[in-house]
Amino acid sequence: MALTLKQQLSTPGGILKFLIKYNTIFIFLVLVIFSAVISDVFFTSVNLSNLLKQVSGIGIISVGMLIVILTGGIDLSVGSMVALLAVIFAIFVNLFALPLAILLTLVIGFGLGSVAGYLVAYQKMAPFIATLALMTVARGMGFIFSKGSPIRFETYGGLFMSNFANNSTLGVPNIAIVFFIIVIIATIMLKYNVFGRLVIAIGSNEEASRLSGIKVGKYKFLVYAISGTLAALAAIIVASRTNLGSPNMGLSWELDAIAAVVIGGASLSGGKGSVINTLMGVLILGLISNILNLLNVPSYPQQVVKGGIIIFAVLLQRFEKK
Amino acid sequence: MAIMEENKSEYRLEMSGISKSFGIVSVLEDVNLRVKHGEIHALLGENGAGKSTLMKILSGAHQKDSGEVLLNGKEINPKNTHDGQVLGINVVYQELSLVNDLSVAENIYLHKLGANKFWMNWKKITQDAQELLDSLGFEIDASATVRNLSIVQKQVVEIAKAISEDTKVLVLDEPTTVFDPTDTQKLFDNLFKLKERGISIIYISHHLEEIFKIADTVTVLKDGVDTGSMPTSEIDTDGIIHLMIGRELKDLYPLRDVVVGDTAIFEVKNLTAKDTLVHDVSFCVKPGEVLGIAGLGGSGRTETAKLIFGAHRKKSGSIFLNGEKITTKSPVEAVEHEIGLVSENRKEEGVFLPLSIRKNISVTNFDSISSSLGFIKTDKEHDNVRGLMNKLNIKAPGSEVDVKNLSGGNQQKVALAKWLSIDSKVIIIDEPTRGVDVGAKVEIYNLINEVAKKGVGVIVISSDMPEIMGIADRILVMHEGTIYGELPKEKFSEENILRYSIGKALK
Repeated sequence: MALTLKQQLSTPGGILKFLIKYNTIFIFLVLVIFSAVISDVFFTSVNLSNLLKQVSGIGIISVGMLIVILTGGIDLSVGSMVALLAVIFAIFVNLFALPLAILLTLVIGFGLGSVAGYLVAYQKMAPFIATLALMTVARGMGFIFSKGSPIRFETYGGLFMSNFANNSTLGVPNIAIVFFIIVIIATIMLKYNVFGRLVIAIGSNEEASRLSGIKVGKYKFLVYAISGTLAALAAIIVASRTNLGSPNMGLSWELDAIAAVVIGGASLSGGKGSVINTLMGVLILGLISNILNLLNVPSYPQQVVKGGIIIFAVLLQRFEKK
Repeated sequence: MAIMEENKSEYRLEMSGISKSFGIVSVLEDVNLRVKHGEIHALLGENGAGKSTLMKILSGAHQKDSGEVLLNGKEINPKNTHDGQVLGINVVYQELSLVNDLSVAENIYLHKLGANKFWMNWKKITQDAQELLDSLGFEIDASATVRNLSIVQKQVVEIAKAISEDTKVLVLDEPTTVFDPTDTQKLFDNLFKLKERGISIIYISHHLEEIFKIADTVTVLKDGVDTGSMPTSEIDTDGIIHLMIGRELKDLYPLRDVVVGDTAIFEVKNLTAKDTLVHDVSFCVKPGEVLGIAGLGGSGRTETAKLIFGAHRKKSGSIFLNGEKITTKSPVEAVEHEIGLVSENRKEEGVFLPLSIRKNISVTNFDSISSSLGFIKTDKEHDNVRGLMNKLNIKAPGSEVDVKNLSGGNQQKVALAKWLSIDSKVIIIDEPTRGVDVGAKVEIYNLINEVAKKGVGVIVISSDMPEIMGIADRILVMHEGTIYGELPKEKFSEENILRYSIGKALK
């Protein structure tokens, strides 16, 4: 039965049910309040803008990851792709005019994603295996192209990108704006476009999709190509922030992206998940790192806490089902 | 004798005053069910009447809110299905629950694995399982992997699993949906044997003729309340239907008053499959006609439907739509030619269970409800969905309800709505009313009739003989992968269908 918010809250245990239903937002708010109380540096514009800058790269690939996971697949290659594409972008920035360098990097990202898409959609390879292989290939190619060391931006185009990536517009970091634009486009495509409808249909029942005359292969191909393109965009952003492209970038980002999507309540078997909740997942992970950094907690305990939060979030979602 | 000692109380099982609600929805209210020793007790009711919930409380899968369950006069309170099994309560659910990658024998003894001993004697287990299967009279190799079995064989294994030496109460929920009449008869023979052993059997089925063949007593549930029990000999079909739906059901099958066109709207010639047994299938459908396809399970009916629809690969043969030759190499091409298929396997192939009614219905129809860039026109979509929900009488609080929360009948209507949403020229409906209650059955029959009236070629595949004779204008009978015979309306009879099904000429 569709109950209004007010009715929901007034039924016995309604508040608890409400909290469980919107658990991702709830955890996010609790973390924000907790952070604000525990550290007086947290609510400064410098810290908040740092936080947003830190999450933008992973945020963008998380959106791609969500779209892939909605079809019931997974893309393990995105972290390594960020490294390879950051190196490629640094090389291109030093060779070509900036718009061409950006365009070529995005096209190569699309192409690499298409390889995964082709293997999964038309060769029926398991997504885990196909993208695991690409993950190794991409990381290796990153080291080959860069000869193992970072490639610096040496042109005016590079300088422009570096300025763009480190500055803010109206107090919001530019790269966070790029991330938010991607979030908005993805929300619109998933909610109001046939593309999103079919991606979710395929993830919730692939055989029924096939027998409804949906071009299952085409959409499965497309989601990996999109994920690759978004990895390229993330690569451009992280390379620009540091003024260089390094084969060590994006280490285990694919795992953070999967974690963000899962914390956002998406089902790894496909068909369930939303961009807004994934955004919350990204921010939650970012917040945890941020507050632990402010409290001077070293990075290994940070990993333990992160893992604990993931387990907690998924347990909460099981309550929701009951 | 152990059995004699247990016979202290008249009833093997007494469930009294059982109530259960999920949240604010009350599913069972003060329900009573009493089953004697060695009795076959039919439990009837429309989908959603509470039969499955009552059985789940019995088996321990659900906990009752109030009431009392006595087994051999002693109160029992199973907390989970394992408790239930230990007490001797075994349930064969409608959904198959076998482990595909284990052998038949391992599946049959799965619940006993690791119970007593650390080491298993596989040879003995396989032998025991084989003996059990042989005694049931079905040919199944106990060492075969379950994945390679037919759906009929899987159902037999499921039943075998539930029968053991300590079974006291056996619950069968729609066990014959995948069986042809011969298999069903074999099952009944087995049930009679079990009955002689003193086992009490609770039998749930929508096939009323089965009830009259085997049941001693009938209990009807309606909207979570039992309308009482009575001996089967004191009630007839109309009486049961009246109890189930609370009204008389005079015309189960609609009057076929459609003028069938002369020229075929759809024709297949010498269709032969690459990967299945289907070969040399030829037939045609005229506009307005309902063509029935009958045959035993495994005769290639579903495979023929999937071959036409492009879901299976063709080796040779051709398909004509309105006299024009078309190809259907994939379901995408079939849908482009406006051919629809309602699968027999509703939950796995027909509907999207986790998605809303709206999203299910729209999935075939984006061309007419979205802009050229693929943006969905919400108003148009809602109008279209609402129109179809009204037309098909899909009972739900709204179009945003997830299909998994609907009853079998309403789910089937959603699966149909998908193809009515686009104006299909040919609709193939495989088992239109499997697992659907009587009330919804009638609605689906009327709907098929209406669709045919509009000039759509309708092909109905069904194992339910009264059903196919009731709605089809002409019946093709399949045997071993091809069409063995055709029956015009005046030759419709269960005997004729059966004779063709087993590859014999008519008398």
